Amino acid sequence: MIFSIQGYAGQWRYGCLLSMKSRIVPSLILVNLMTSSLIAEKAPLSFNEDIRPILSDRCFRCHGPGAENQRSEFRLDTREHATADLGDGFFGIVPGNLEESDLHWRIWDEEEEDRMPPPDSNLALSDEERKLLDRWIEEGAPYDTHWSFKPLPKSVDAPSRESTWARNELDQFIEESFASQGVVPAEESSREKWLRRVSFDLTGLPPTVPEIEAFLTDESEQAFEKVVDRLLASDAYAERMTSEWLDVARYSDSNGYQRDHERRVWPWRDWVIQSFQENMPYEEFVATQLAGDLFPDATQDQVLATAFNRLHGHLMEGGIVPEEYRVEYVADRTHTFGSAFLGLTMECARCHDHKYDPLTMEDYYSLSSFFANIEEAGLIAYFSFAVPTPALAISDEKTDKTLEKTQKKIDAKAAELKGVEAAPQAKAAFEKWLVSKPRLDWPGREAWISFDEREGENFANAVAPDLPAISPEINKLVPGVYGNALQFTGDDKMEVFDAGHFSREHPFSASVWVRPNQHAPRESIFSRGGGADDAASMGYEFMLMDGKPTASWIHFWPGNAMRVRAKEPIPAGEWSHLVVSYDGSAKAYGVKIFLNGEPMELETVKDHLTKEITSWQTPGRQRVREHLVLGERYRDRGFVKGRMDEFQMFDREISELEARKLYHMKPDSPLLGTPLEEMADLEPGDLYSHFLATAYLPTMKARAELQSARAERNRIMDGLEAISVMRETEDPRPAYILNRGAYDARGEEVTANTPSALPAFPEDQPRNRLGLARWLTDPNHPLTARVAVNRYWQMIFGVALVRTPEDFGSQGSNPTHPELLDWLARDFVNHGWDLHHLLRQMVLSATYRQSTFGDLASTEKDPENLSFCRSNPNRLAAEMIRDNALAVSGLLDDDIGGPPVKPYEVAASFKPMEPDEGEGLYRRSLYTLWKRNSPAPMMVAFDAPKRDICSLKREPTASPLQPLVILNGPQFVEAARVFGEKLLAKHRGDRTAVIEDAFHQLTSRKPDPEEVEILGNLYEAQRQEFDANPADANALLKVGYAPISLYENPREHAAATVVINAIMNMNESLIER
Amino acid sequence: MKNPLCTGYESPFGMSRRSFLNQLGMGLGGLALGSMVNPLKAVTDRGPALSGTHFPGTAKRIIYLFQSGGPSQMDLFDYKPRLNQEHGEELPDSVRRGQRLTGMSTSQASFPLAGTPFEFKQHGESGAWFSETLPHMTSIADKMCFVKTMYTEAINHGPGVTMMMSGSQIPGRPTVGSWLSYGLGSPNENLPSYIVLTPKVQKGQPLTSRYWGSGFLPGRHDGVRFRPEKDAVLYLNNPDGVSRLSRRKTIDHLKELHEYQVSKQSDPVLESQIEQYEMAFRMQTSVPEVSDIRGESKATLKLYGDDVAEPGTFAANCLLARRLAEREVPFVQVFHMGWDAHSDCPGNVRSNSEKTDQASAALIKDLESRGMLDDTLVIWGGEFGRTNYCQGKITETNFGRDHHPRCFTIWMAGGGVNPGYTHGVTDDYCYNIEADGVHVHDFHATMMHLLGIDHERLTYKYQGRHFRLTDVHGHVVKELLA
Repeated sequence: MIFSIQGYAGQWRYGCLLSMKSRIVPSLILVNLMTSSLIAEKAPLSFNEDIRPILSDRCFRCHGPGAENQRSEFRLDTREHATADLGDGFFGIVPGNLEESDLHWRIWDEEEEDRMPPPDSNLALSDEERKLLDRWIEEGAPYDTHWSFKPLPKSVDAPSRESTWARNELDQFIEESFASQGVVPAEESSREKWLRRVSFDLTGLPPTVPEIEAFLTDESEQAFEKVVDRLLASDAYAERMTSEWLDVARYSDSNGYQRDHERRVWPWRDWVIQSFQENMPYEEFVATQLAGDLFPDATQDQVLATAFNRLHGHLMEGGIVPEEYRVEYVADRTHTFGSAFLGLTMECARCHDHKYDPLTMEDYYSLSSFFANIEEAGLIAYFSFAVPTPALAISDEKTDKTLEKTQKKIDAKAAELKGVEAAPQAKAAFEKWLVSKPRLDWPGREAWISFDEREGENFANAVAPDLPAISPEINKLVPGVYGNALQFTGDDKMEVFDAGHFSREHPFSASVWVRPNQHAPRESIFSRGGGADDAASMGYEFMLMDGKPTASWIHFWPGNAMRVRAKEPIPAGEWSHLVVSYDGSAKAYGVKIFLNGEPMELETVKDHLTKEITSWQTPGRQRVREHLVLGERYRDRGFVKGRMDEFQMFDREISELEARKLYHMKPDSPLLGTPLEEMADLEPGDLYSHFLATAYLPTMKARAELQSARAERNRIMDGLEAISVMRETEDPRPAYILNRGAYDARGEEVTANTPSALPAFPEDQPRNRLGLARWLTDPNHPLTARVAVNRYWQMIFGVALVRTPEDFGSQGSNPTHPELLDWLARDFVNHGWDLHHLLRQMVLSATYRQSTFGDLASTEKDPENLSFCRSNPNRLAAEMIRDNALAVSGLLDDDIGGPPVKPYEVAASFKPMEPDEGEGLYRRSLYTLWKRNSPAPMMVAFDAPKRDICSLKREPTASPLQPLVILNGPQFVEAARVFGEKLLAKHRGDRTAVIEDAFHQLTSRKPDPEEVEILGNLYEAQRQEFDANPADANALLKVGYAPISLYENPREHAAATVVINAIMNMNESLIER
Repeated sequence: MKNPLCTGYESPFGMSRRSFLNQLGMGLGGLALGSMVNPLKAVTDRGPALSGTHFPGTAKRIIYLFQSGGPSQMDLFDYKPRLNQEHGEELPDSVRRGQRLTGMSTSQASFPLAGTPFEFKQHGESGAWFSETLPHMTSIADKMCFVKTMYTEAINHGPGVTMMMSGSQIPGRPTVGSWLSYGLGSPNENLPSYIVLTPKVQKGQPLTSRYWGSGFLPGRHDGVRFRPEKDAVLYLNNPDGVSRLSRRKTIDHLKELHEYQVSKQSDPVLESQIEQYEMAFRMQTSVPEVSDIRGESKATLKLYGDDVAEPGTFAANCLLARRLAEREVPFVQVFHMGWDAHSDCPGNVRSNSEKTDQASAALIKDLESRGMLDDTLVIWGGEFGRTNYCQGKITETNFGRDHHPRCFTIWMAGGGVNPGYTHGVTDDYCYNIEADGVHVHDFHATMMHLLGIDHERLTYKYQGRHFRLTDVHGHVVKELLA
């Protein structure tokens, strides 16, 4: 067997494939070989341009770099593999020797079952392609590094050619390709058309009539530059650039997946706008979004920028396995990083080595591990509004000052408390108190369930005789430490009312005898909150985890929580006495756990609690499960066959003495009795601290003040809106190759690293996202600048130089102008990644000035316009079509930033919403609420992506749904109506003037007389319609919320509305000409 | 500079639309095969991806009655008396085999088995089992082809429905209808090729528009939802005060204007737009016409049941699906919602059966009486099944059931499937598959086969990869073919 090959359809084919018979060259092939040798006289082939695309598309699927899933031992992705000895004297390729190269025989084989690629694979080679491969073998089968993996050249020379056409270096490259393609450039488009094009391309808005006129009359040398400078300096430019970036960043105002609730991520969008307003260098723009949280002394804005990494969907669907989706989110970040910055499709390598590009699974998981080191949950809370962690509470200067002030107050109150405790007066008062032979019961007891008395489902709570605790009878009474105890099923809770309602500044303690039946990963003793994963565990909980007592206070698990755990487990099958006490500090050091009266040694699991723990509610704002529960917890594991006795809760931090006493004494014994001799066994220190805690007014007062100082600060923190961002864990999470990409199939462990085919990770950088960002923005990085300039070229010219902007790998297209791409990229880097500089070059070029109507012969020669010998008639983006109508009608509200808005169209989306009233209807489209599962229908109709994943290109299509939107959508009808009213007033009813003005504003050019005539006829026809049906006129004028027309003749106004709407539907209103 | 290989990004503006059409030797009629005819894009797409089918198919169109939420297989079709015998007893570990459960019941301390409260009987010559909740379906027993051994990896609704619709649990892939629209185009130039009908009253697990999304295929392959409202399609109706005549005049003048502009400067983009506007105008008539059931006979209406008069009910949507099928719409997706029986499973099964039983059976009979059943494939099923054990509290008569991906039942009828046939066997506990499991990918492969498409050969190149509906899996289940 030489090399075995599997057919595309999935069945294996083995065997020595080349019988002598198939070596007989069919005559047809001889002919082909002759032609092929004729071609060979031309310049040598380029591997990257001529051969790699064929090998990659037709062969790599089975003979590519995907070592793991390799269907054949024969590989074609490197020369070493391709020319290897396959045994028995067979070679896939013998350079320069067609006769000895099996590849040659196999691609020309007449026998279907032996021919490559297999006929049923859909990958057949054309004769041209076969000839190319033959010629390549004859030329020695040279290989070359894939173009996009080659370092960015240090410098690129622009072609020097005498030219009257070129305006800058960019044009020199383009003109060079005109020569080689034998095409000539299109004529310059009119000044109006250039202005319209550049205004939309840079700001997404049309030029105003005064702007058109100013430009037309500006005869200065710098007329064009002046316009570009004006546009680049405008806020509308920042909005336009942001709009484009939102697709890349898969921005959405909702969480996606099934429930798709709204989320508050627009502060990140506003950060993007601000970055473009400041013309932040692209390098910094990228690095901040990737790793702003890791910048030294990161500012709030820098952390906010990292929300970029969290804009993926978040699942809110009780029942999923959270780890599965945590892994999914890490994958999303990795894929977004790959597409947006590297132009590489990482997805393939998630399940197997990439079939086409040199990306292995190890590369994939090494890269993805950079994005895994945050405390996040795979499931977002249904029963709380807590923002998924890690989250940034967004503050402002004033709030920062208040927070600082309140923190100082807390520190002062804490010091005051210490002072009071240490003061000689306290000691004196203590002595006096002792002499008074105090008798003391258990102050602050909130609940005491002895489990001894049961009436049906009711259990007496000694503290609240009128409010019994409730437990179904399936939880059985069994003998306890004192009297009866309760044995829990694990599925049935005991609910205790009116107790344990503590916010995080509130100290409290609990005491209980427990007899676990076994050691399990989780067993819930008591808790308060909406449940486990579905509520992000918000609340507090006391669990046994593998038998270890564990106490937690949680806003959103795992990123905003405090948890301490005993180092040792308590025994199963025996009674143990547990006490947990907490001081209200929201810090792990404020928690103590006592086993049988003695403090347990604890470890801190989490110590980052900064937000409230008590706001359990459903999305419909219904409060849920807010009572204290014992023995069971919603969608968590209960205390299965565990027993409990003598549960008590206190609304204060109890002292060590009390903890000991709770273990040693029957619960109904008074804590301190008379006479004093009974207290002889007490340590004097214990008694003193107990005195301070419960009987000495000055300390009690100081404690209360400390608590209210904490409350004050906590309420401010609770009021701050938060946004999901990145916050690196102290230690990286162990990362593994996941077999088949499955979350639970861990393979080999990997460490953070960049793909092996790309430059090495810099030695002097930390192995985290910050290091990754530095690696990415290295001035010589082969991909970052190329990918960026290519995307912006696409934004300006409509199509990119590499027409697959999301794929710079071997399956992507080669650049139409490789030297230009490199020159632009190098120039961009050399100019400090300055976007203004980059865009200015493009829009001021002669290339950009061309008309969309090219030279006829050239158009025929280059129908796809690969040479850029004319401008492409680009359809305006969805946002621009709507913004254009708003802008010309004067309805556009040009506020910048802020919460998303709901224009009319949200009422017609899949999940209809009530539209805003007022300005929300008229904001620029980038502010329209983006719901992943029911995106704004107009955006979808005009080809905006769904924003489920990073998207670098919109595919303009034309469907019959589009005319319906512009003809019938209330946004457009209203704009036409308002515009009509303005023009009628302005021109005092002169129809021709109205038509000319509307035409001019909507298309940026004046109509010619024929056009005016046609529109005038339409005007008259519509007027007749409305004269015949006057009620229709009034109905039409009521569309939209804008004030109803005051124009004297509604029928004339209605007719104008229809005419203006028709102009909105004109080709030139929708397409850049 | 050469023409790179097969990447599908050719400029739409390279040649005059007419010269393009002439080159392909087809006029507008031929081009209109492209679904939702897209004059701009049609030039780039060269019409449907396939010219005809790979081989003669037995079905020309599909009506997919999707039962969202996960119908309880053992309370409807997959009769398991053993569950009744062991009602209340613990699910044996030997059956569960440590397989993962959803986060909703995984922490339960016990997993008591729950038998069905419904009576089961065999019907038809095939002897298919039906629960008493499905009296109407029994009458089409011998038309139905059951798969009792469907399975999926998804254990929750979002991922589960996404898997059934697109062959992947993760959002972003094209759905079945989009693949067909891309591959076959539409024989009707006035209606979209992929139409989605959703319930007017939406209760239960939410639907999302992604379930009929085109993923990475061009947006025009998105399913078009017909809404049971005034505007069946987005902004279908003229604004208040604009009559049909008035609109006709606008379109005419716009056309005149564009033709004038073309006369000055030949321009394929403009020519395309003229056609685009004509088609929009035609759709304004064809869509209301298809939704108007006033011409249906009393007998037909009666067949579907009382609900049929109420737009947006399952019955009304089934009838509308038949009307769309008559107009050669190749893929109609009807959603029913509500099978998610976590608690009160008996009540859930009873009420959802009532809502779907009669109309489902009616659709089959109606298609048959019109001679359309032979080439119309009807599919009935959800995203997964339900557990044999009780979620929550079990009593003698009541219980809930959690999601169960390891086996569930769907049925098909017409379009060349094997009538009166039941495929696959589940174990006595209705927990695992004993023989002949059919994975979602196999189901998709079979569905495409019925249409004459080789699922391995309908591909779309995206991000450097040739994608297909069945990913790299799927086998045609030959036994399901007549």
